Amino acid sequence: MMKKGALLLLLLALPLVDSNSYHTEILSTAALYALLALGLNIIVGYAGLLHLGYAAFFAVGAYSYALLNLHFGWPFWAGLPAAGLIAGLAAVLLGLPAIRVRGDYLAIVTLGFGEIVRVVVTNLDQWTGGPNGLMGIAHPAFGPVRFGVEARPYYWLLVLLAAATAWACVRLRRSRIGLAWVAVREDELAAGCLGVDALRMKLLALSLGGWVAGLAGCVFAAKQGTVTPDTFDFIQSVMILAMVILGGLGSAAGAVCGAVLLSVAPELLREFSTYRMLLFGLVMIGLMRVRPQGLFGSR
Amino acid sequence: MRNPFRLAILFLSLISLAGCGKGEPVVKIGFVAPLTGDQAAHGTDMLRGAQLAIEQARQAGEILPGYKVELSELDDSRSPAQAVAAAKRLAADADVLAVVGHLNSSCTKPASAIYYEARLLHLCPVSSNPEISRQGFDTFYRICPTDDLQGPAGARFAFQKLGAKKIFVLDDMTTYGRGLANEFLAAAKGLGVEILGHEGITQGEKDFTPVLTKIKGLNPDLIYFAGMFPEAALLLKQKQNLGLQGKFLGGDGLFEPALIELATPEASEGMYLTTLGGDIRNLPTAQQFVREFETRYGKLGAYSWYAYEATRIALEAVRRAGRKDRAAVLAAMKGMGSYSGILGVHAFDSKGDTSLRTIGVYTIQQGKFQFVEATEG
Amino acid sequence: MILLQQILNGLTIGAVYALIALGYTMVYGILQMINFAHGEVFMIGAYVGMTVLLMAGPGSGGVLWLTAAMAAAAVACCLLGLMMERVAYRPLRAAPKLSVLITAIGLSFFLQNAVMLGYGAQDRYVPETLSVRHWGGAGGAVVTPMQGVIFAVSFLLMLGLQGMVYGTKLGRSMRAVAQDPLAARLMGIPVDRVIATTFAIGSALAGVGGVLFGVHYSTINFHDGYLTGLKAFTAAVLGGIGNLPGAMLGGLLLGLMEGLGAGYVSAQWKNVVAFAVLILVLLFRPHGLLGERLAERA
Repeated sequence: MMKKGALLLLLLALPLVDSNSYHTEILSTAALYALLALGLNIIVGYAGLLHLGYAAFFAVGAYSYALLNLHFGWPFWAGLPAAGLIAGLAAVLLGLPAIRVRGDYLAIVTLGFGEIVRVVVTNLDQWTGGPNGLMGIAHPAFGPVRFGVEARPYYWLLVLLAAATAWACVRLRRSRIGLAWVAVREDELAAGCLGVDALRMKLLALSLGGWVAGLAGCVFAAKQGTVTPDTFDFIQSVMILAMVILGGLGSAAGAVCGAVLLSVAPELLREFSTYRMLLFGLVMIGLMRVRPQGLFGSR
Repeated sequence: MRNPFRLAILFLSLISLAGCGKGEPVVKIGFVAPLTGDQAAHGTDMLRGAQLAIEQARQAGEILPGYKVELSELDDSRSPAQAVAAAKRLAADADVLAVVGHLNSSCTKPASAIYYEARLLHLCPVSSNPEISRQGFDTFYRICPTDDLQGPAGARFAFQKLGAKKIFVLDDMTTYGRGLANEFLAAAKGLGVEILGHEGITQGEKDFTPVLTKIKGLNPDLIYFAGMFPEAALLLKQKQNLGLQGKFLGGDGLFEPALIELATPEASEGMYLTTLGGDIRNLPTAQQFVREFETRYGKLGAYSWYAYEATRIALEAVRRAGRKDRAAVLAAMKGMGSYSGILGVHAFDSKGDTSLRTIGVYTIQQGKFQFVEATEG
Repeated sequence: MILLQQILNGLTIGAVYALIALGYTMVYGILQMINFAHGEVFMIGAYVGMTVLLMAGPGSGGVLWLTAAMAAAAVACCLLGLMMERVAYRPLRAAPKLSVLITAIGLSFFLQNAVMLGYGAQDRYVPETLSVRHWGGAGGAVVTPMQGVIFAVSFLLMLGLQGMVYGTKLGRSMRAVAQDPLAARLMGIPVDRVIATTFAIGSALAGVGGVLFGVHYSTINFHDGYLTGLKAFTAAVLGGIGNLPGAMLGGLLLGLMEGLGAGYVSAQWKNVVAFAVLILVLLFRPHGLLGERLAERA
């Protein structure tokens, strides 16, 4: 506990030591992806649901806050939980039909839903701004802290959110719910025989994963000031999935590490940006051959 | 795994060290355009224009005493999300004193908000959507005419010169395309043209035969397309395949030699487009630029001279500022009032728009762009 | 007239979907695996075809060069499919589904990026090989010679495949492995070789589909494989995954639905048609139109 607290303080103190705002930007991105990876880890790692459309919930969260803010004047701090709730709800609604199918098919259905959400958002241009998106989204207001003008406040917010989520994930995993998820993941039939309501557990995982994505989406929308549908494509979903798998399915620490590695690496290797997807593909293929359980995984 | 926390700390410290210290003092002009992706032809063209401007400036002497001037080019792949990310990166880089970009209005518009927040001078070469300058950002300056001039000019040309009385309008649903289409529609209706329909197509889509088949059934005199050249090429090709008679008029996004190659010279024969300015080869002020560019790079594209002009203005603002300070550069730009460049004299108004209002019309004949006429909007 | 034209257009792309769908369905029938990188095989076929046609020079004359392009693409994609199976999928035969899927996605990204590096990220032009003049059809609907070629080639290939699978020893082996790999191996069937051959044939078909697609639309992009691949997969599922005539039927139907939807409802929502069909079929009739109800494999 102490070690983790110390690490958290260290992370928060980083931008005070290194005042380069470009670095802070990169770290903010890493923290954002850490949050997303933690959320997806609940769905894929804990509950064993292969989900290829996670970016859709990220999108729902972002657009929810954008619309609430631009059309109804909601401030950020009200928008944050609202975005989480709406995204969680969306995850359940989209998940209800999906979880009736198994394995590969589940993956494709979730992929399909992810794409449908993106196309819907692109086409409903009266509300969503279409392919041009929405802009002018308000930053959070928190006393004297100037979000947006300075890079650090968003970093702190994201680190705190990620830390809180990580803590909640670990607690969940060790709880009865976590055990139920393991049971459903390993053998759904047997779990059912033991009285575990598989459907309920899966929906719970989806809603929690969606909630986290919604929070991330809200912060993202405020930070960028603009939301456009092209952010939330299939590649985004796969990236987050890759982070979870690289870190090790079912491990919160793994999800965070995978997120940091895969979001910082492209920045450091910016000269190789044309080779990015090539290397990424090779990493995925190699990983499944050499260490399919990821960095922290136990399978 | 060994203590992961120690690993994390090590990793984070490495990141902090990664960016530390480069050698020579440098000032940068930021540049963003689609350098990859389907509109890379436009973006590369613009990049060359910008690079030429930097080269010439370096040869002419020091812009800012003690500093080397560099171009910091980033790619936005015509994606608004990437444009915003690139804008943030430039805003966070303290060496960047001004930005030239982007290409697409859907990218320039959100990026302009980032530059405004960062108090960074933003010079826009070719994004023509009028909304961008109406946002009230004092950091925004534009050197091309806007679509509230281009749309009506196209409508007038279609009605008066091409005799089109029934027109079907297509756009690509981007800020630029939708905006231009609406301007065209309003003007066309005012002239008494019958609008048979207005539909959107998706960028990146390949198969437009369903909507073209529908249009064929309505039998228009002319199809107006407000969008970019990759989709236009496909539209022209498929229009020919379907045997759709009727003329084709587009906007400046089609003004790219790759259009003729992608659509084939046969399919693009006899189509028209409007452009944001007259014939560059006929402008006396631009002759030297045309010569130098063609010597260096061979082909003159469609947007290179805008990027060149914008970069030159940025460099001038930096020179007048006299020091490495964004506020000073911004003030110098404001103080400039007007600039005499290769396109003519730009007198910037309170919104940052240029006083140049020439809209050109080109056609394609025998596989080449031919200048038709220019009007003052 | 319009309806007929929309139908013709829809069936054209549908035939291409069918060719690609055959590859998906064959691999799934044998390995219960969705070859996510199959769309990229199709895309590479298109690029190979373009390269061959560019060599033909101006005028890129006629059916001969087109046939050469299709043959080249078939061979290249056949080899690609074999390589993919050998290097990426065979080592993972016993691995969990997730690993295989991730590998396939990684392969897909790798191939896309490789083509992008080789040929550039912008659209590439595919030379026309056939005369552009179209044939007037019933009441004003037009068909281009290329469309005719697409119909003819797809039909012949599908017929050939059907004949091969039901009339030859190899085909019998394929069906045996699809039914029960262990029993097949016990009967002396070289399972590994059969699987490799399946990949090879499916990839060759996709390659030819790619050439037809490229010449028909006359521009190609490294990103074409992803979306078209997904739609072809939808077609395979629609027809009944593992069922060959199903894949063909599914392809044509999907092309038709897309075309009519785009023409009469809205062009912008075209891609939603494919995904919606996919989801609805998987939810309500997972064995597709022609597939048999299969018990869940333990």
